[in-house]
Amino acid sequence: MHFFQYFSLIHVMARMKLKSKANTLLLSYVWWVLEPLLFVLMFYFVFKFLLHRGREDFLIFLIIGKIPFLWFSKSVTSAANSLIENRGLINQRPIPKFVFPLVNVHEAAYQQLVTFAVLISFVIFNGYHDFGLWWQLIPLIFLQYLLICGLSSVFTLFVTYAPDFRMIVSMFMMGMMFCSGIFWSIGDIADPQLQKMILLFNPLAVIIDGYRQVLMHGQLLNWMTFAPALFISLGLILTGFGGLKKFDSLLTRRVFM
Amino acid sequence: MNNSAILSVRNLTLEYQTRSGFLKQFTHKAIDNVSFEVQKGEVFGVLGRNGSGKSSLLKVLAGTIQPDSGEVICPPNTTRSLLALGLGFNNNLSGRDNALISCLLNGYSKQESQPIIEQVKAFAELGKFFEQPVKTYSAGMRSRLGFATAIFTQVDIMLIDETLSVGDNAFKLKAEAALQEKINNCDQTIIFVSHSIHQIKKLCQRCLWLEKGKAKQLGTTNSVMKHYLDNKQEAVQI
Repeated sequence: MHFFQYFSLIHVMARMKLKSKANTLLLSYVWWVLEPLLFVLMFYFVFKFLLHRGREDFLIFLIIGKIPFLWFSKSVTSAANSLIENRGLINQRPIPKFVFPLVNVHEAAYQQLVTFAVLISFVIFNGYHDFGLWWQLIPLIFLQYLLICGLSSVFTLFVTYAPDFRMIVSMFMMGMMFCSGIFWSIGDIADPQLQKMILLFNPLAVIIDGYRQVLMHGQLLNWMTFAPALFISLGLILTGFGGLKKFDSLLTRRVFM
Repeated sequence: MNNSAILSVRNLTLEYQTRSGFLKQFTHKAIDNVSFEVQKGEVFGVLGRNGSGKSSLLKVLAGTIQPDSGEVICPPNTTRSLLALGLGFNNNLSGRDNALISCLLNGYSKQESQPIIEQVKAFAELGKFFEQPVKTYSAGMRSRLGFATAIFTQVDIMLIDETLSVGDNAFKLKAEAALQEKINNCDQTIIFVSHSIHQIKKLCQRCLWLEKGKAKQLGTTNSVMKHYLDNKQEAVQI
């Protein structure tokens, strides 16, 4: 099978998975919009009403942080289990392992396009419309996609090798939720050294901050601040997909044990 | 019949290591130093009791699992696909969508797949169920879909694991006839594992008898079958 044929395969399989999931739910595709909204409302309730924290525009601030985070966490968590989930197909014929995490990543990405459309309508509805600079969202979304691909491939490698890593993945997601500036802003950190560290080593925090700068403040982004995120993502992609290729036969055995 | 080997297996050994507790592993030799060759266009049977290593052998032959030692040699670009019950279906997708995925996995484009899917639909006799999720299918319907998908997508070596033993008698005969036709017309190579001695006798020219992972006998179906049946009777008498 030709290398590029795999991309058409990934695309069809991702679409089929979306369809199959929607078929099992009563509200079907409505969940694509409902799920992120419910998450945001829950966070809003906790931070605004219970803790009295947050500023005037806290709801919009929270939505712009939470929706990209949900994309990130859902994709990586589902991709990590992708080989185990597809043992039937893996049993049947030799298929390169990179296909399976990418199917799950694309499944979440297609769904995210709809969710992003809802997010943007919500932002416009709330009176933010510096449309001139919104093109910057495209490279930001692409960068987040690269980060998701990289981390997904690395976690697929680990979780398939030893299912114990599933615990680590859920803990990692929890950690990322607290460290990526979803309900706080990187600008709120008093210690400039710490601020710098987060910008350097947490790609997701930089990306989420980028979304806010564009959508809420209509700013022109300084692309140099995204260079570490890009390098980390590319590094993860090389390690993860390289590992999936190198340890292909070992992983097949692990899937059946 | 073309007399070139499409698949040759040399000194194949496969061990499984399963986790059995905290940092403990259980090792089991599923295939032990097995060698044989399959010619292009041949129908080759694999016989043996439960746990003799038949299904593991098929996985290695399909190329999904790499052996611990020994080798499986095929000419370059030989396509192989394993047909086994309940494998490779997404239960929430319709028969049509599952057939499409199978075609794509075998290297067909989406356009090329459409006529094949129509053939699959006609052969599998699923009627309106073809558009319904596979989870609503009976075991027989699943095996019909699996068989039809495999037989209409062209693969060089078809590996069949027990599939023909499910389904009603009429479909069984139809499936055997379809296989026979492929064997006669298309030079299709088939490696066939079955509990049904009758089917192996009817379809296979040569056989391999596996016992606890080792090759007990390799030869024409008639000679292997004779010893296999004698041995089976002895086992029953004991």
